Amino acid sequence: MASLRKIKRRMVRRVVDENLDLIRGPRATRRSRRLSRLFTAAKVVFLVGLPAGLVASSMVLAEAAQGWVENSRAAILRQGPAPGLVPSPWRVEPVVSAPFALDHSFPAPLPIDRKILPLVVRRVVLDPGHGGDSSGTEAPLGLVEKEVTLDIAKRLRRLLEEASYEVVMTREEDVGVTLADRADYGNRESGDIFVSIHVNWFENRRSRGVETYYLGPTDDPYLKDLAARENRDSGIPLAEFRDMLERLYADIRQEESRRLASAVQRSLHRSLSSINSAIENRGVKTAPFGVLVRTEMPAILAEVSCLSNEAEARRLVQPAYREYIAEAIFDGLRHYARGLNTSDNQRS
Amino acid sequence: MSESGDGGDAILNVGVDLGTSRSSVSASNGERHVVRSYVGWPADMVARKVLQRDVLIGDDALENRIMLDLHRPLERGLIKEGSEKDAEAVRELLSHLISLVNNDDARVRAVVGVPAEALRVNRQQLRNAMSGLIDQLMIVSEPFAVAYGLEALLHALVIDIGAGTTDFCVMNGRYPTEEDQRTLTQAGDSVDEQLNQLVAARYPEANFSSHMVREWKEKHSFVGEPKGSVEVEAPVRGVPTQLDITDEMRQACESLLPPVTEMMIDLISRVQPEYQAKVRQNVLLSGGSGLIRGLGAALQEALKEIGGGQVRVVKDPIYVGSDGGLALATDAPDSDWEKLSA
Repeated sequence: MASLRKIKRRMVRRVVDENLDLIRGPRATRRSRRLSRLFTAAKVVFLVGLPAGLVASSMVLAEAAQGWVENSRAAILRQGPAPGLVPSPWRVEPVVSAPFALDHSFPAPLPIDRKILPLVVRRVVLDPGHGGDSSGTEAPLGLVEKEVTLDIAKRLRRLLEEASYEVVMTREEDVGVTLADRADYGNRESGDIFVSIHVNWFENRRSRGVETYYLGPTDDPYLKDLAARENRDSGIPLAEFRDMLERLYADIRQEESRRLASAVQRSLHRSLSSINSAIENRGVKTAPFGVLVRTEMPAILAEVSCLSNEAEARRLVQPAYREYIAEAIFDGLRHYARGLNTSDNQRS
Repeated sequence: MSESGDGGDAILNVGVDLGTSRSSVSASNGERHVVRSYVGWPADMVARKVLQRDVLIGDDALENRIMLDLHRPLERGLIKEGSEKDAEAVRELLSHLISLVNNDDARVRAVVGVPAEALRVNRQQLRNAMSGLIDQLMIVSEPFAVAYGLEALLHALVIDIGAGTTDFCVMNGRYPTEEDQRTLTQAGDSVDEQLNQLVAARYPEANFSSHMVREWKEKHSFVGEPKGSVEVEAPVRGVPTQLDITDEMRQACESLLPPVTEMMIDLISRVQPEYQAKVRQNVLLSGGSGLIRGLGAALQEALKEIGGGQVRVVKDPIYVGSDGGLALATDAPDSDWEKLSA
């Protein structure tokens, strides 16, 4: 009985908190520009613990460093560390020693606790796919991807603005915009997240599903090679603090992109499958889409429907269905934004 | 009876289940009412003169619908978007519900249930609609309110089948997360639509309205074996005629079974393995459409696929949501209520 009372008290507390959150709106208070945020992050990382930051850096970075260490090991043993390799003001023993620890493998990367790098979402960049001469996919009914993506993006903008988010769009009418310009615009506008909206086409016309992409590791040999070359050329972050922070930031961006993609994909599939059980969950995937490579913030590309399936195309003609998709993306973004204020430890 | 808060003002705690088809209200003074979620305004001056009222609500509105601009302002358990008239209708409906229980002009603290997967914007719209009607407001997921009212907080699955949505909520002794809750749009209204189509296909010359179909369903709905033939009356070329709609009724009602069964099993399978058997034994069916005869038994039969269990139709399914809201309103401390001004 006492236990039931306790459970009830706890639940009432949660209900009250949820309602207070609704009244107050998004709690995030965005700092002025990403650069200042990065600078703050740098200070926090440095003060709270540079070692923790580096240990937590990405698998890509780790693998690259491992390769670099392997290649350099003999030279280092022969010559010792090159003078100036680690500028003295930034010398922190655990950081430097990790890649040089010859008797131990490189430590497994740890997830970065969001407490260390407080990210917030205030400004959302919406990128309706295609436009102008680039129509994207086309349904037998005459519906074209560029129209659907723009319509959904505008609906999503309304939902976000009602919830007090700032929204900028890479296009607001039927005009062609290059991928580079889309990404550059998002970067210039200091967006906190970038959401590119597309509609898919499957060879198998019976398929209908949703999938969400972010930039990340791939099995594609070309991309692996490219990533390795870039990492090697960067000198790995031991040489300069700035480099380290950029890498660290890139790592966070990738991890945040993954979280964002997961939240949107989960919401899209759950919402759409509740009115249409035939919708497949094609999952969260990584791919080198141009806008994802060039953007400087967590970025995703969501394939929110498909025009190759006639039944799905018929649904997309209905405004209510497009609204439903916009709501689903909105819910995913909101879920992600709320999660940013929660540390990983609290979440688990 | 109204309670007295710290300030000495009379306080009335209220739970509201705002339903697509019916809305119920339960208050701490013992008053409980259920109202059909219809709001109508006289269509013209003549209608206004005949009806002698500016706005009609519930059965009153339905009975006089021919003279009204009639609105059913809730869609899938939420305020319809894009129509100011519907937003106004929701305010009228809520105002009416509160007036039914607040006889002493007390300060009103209300807990209102919404579908499990209602979005933030939907909740904000509801909050805006209630502004000025009450003093303090909390919005909760409807199936959670049901579970709270029944004290089914541990190892239970609530299935709340309304007109607009079927809401699911697994209770694990903690406040349900988004993962614990689901909403399906297959519910009472989808049964109505299907029944409408099936009867029209079988009796193409019969003349009937969606309101008649809803009444037929509320009176005769069933799944499984019929107790007898289902006969209703509708005009055929102007002549009142008895129509046998037994097969159509069964087919329409049974259309709920696949999606509800699938979701029920899916949610149970996500519960921690050691507790799944307990949850299977504690499936609670509520909501107006939960009253479809044989539905509980059919879902219980479906549970055999995963080891068997028990499905119970809750007592008083019409009020269970508003009663749960009232329980929450009563249990929330005064200090918290003070922060939740409407």
